[in-house]
Amino acid sequence: MEANKVRESQIMKIHYLTGIAALVVVAVHIMMRLIMPYNLSLEYENVIANYHNMPYAFLLESMLVLIAIHGFNGLRIILLEMRQSKAWESGVTILTIAAMIAIIGYGTRTIIVANGLEMG
Amino acid sequence: MAPSYIYKVCTGGEEVLMEAIDRNNREGIKGWLNPSRYGAERISYWLQRLTGVGLLGYFIGHVYETSSLTNGPDAWAAMLELTQTPMGHMILLLVIGMSTFHSANGIRLIFTQGGKGLGKPGRPDYPYDAVSLNYRQKSGIWIALILAAAAMMYGASVLFGGE
Repeated sequence: MEANKVRESQIMKIHYLTGIAALVVVAVHIMMRLIMPYNLSLEYENVIANYHNMPYAFLLESMLVLIAIHGFNGLRIILLEMRQSKAWESGVTILTIAAMIAIIGYGTRTIIVANGLEMG
Repeated sequence: MAPSYIYKVCTGGEEVLMEAIDRNNREGIKGWLNPSRYGAERISYWLQRLTGVGLLGYFIGHVYETSSLTNGPDAWAAMLELTQTPMGHMILLLVIGMSTFHSANGIRLIFTQGGKGLGKPGRPDYPYDAVSLNYRQKSGIWIALILAAAAMMYGASVLFGGE
């Protein structure tokens, strides 16, 4: 059973890699808000046009997955630093993984639906 | 946690109970927030966690906020009315500062965990300053703070500058 568990050192590598990758995709996401005046970039037609752009939709999906993994693993690390016991560690891990899956699912639904929406 | 007992061994080899204290050393969140032991590294440790939790909260809120798109232009406009306000822009500025600090300090931590910038181990001489807590680490923390301030200023110029 122990052999099947992912080692914490491996999890830290994933944490660092997702952090660096998220930094890159978030930078692109912010630049997309700045290629035109900020207020204009938030208009419904422009935002939907972003979702219709397939490479950008993939970028949004990867950003969603990367930040969810990095963020909820970070929360798991903080909670494990605060208290240690087998039940607490298992509970925190299960809850953070469940929250991660839920937010990825909800965000993916938005990307898919917005991708199929008509403009205006 | 089980109580710990401190014994004194007398000359005759007899153990005398001196103190019985419940030594629960798990300070939890109070340990984080206790400022009495703060150095630059401890402030950075605390800020890294605080900004991380703040950014996770913003991320969840942002995913929810953008989901209003799926309910059509009116729902999107109603959400913008709620978020594109001076208070909403102030929160966004805070998020810009938090994300810049978290990223820059996180990169410093990745290097540190890889053994970069820690200095060479040396003989422990008085006053026993840790070699690892050196100017490289401190300047990394300052660079993260300065970058966060610069990003917030740029963000303010975009959000409040009417661009």
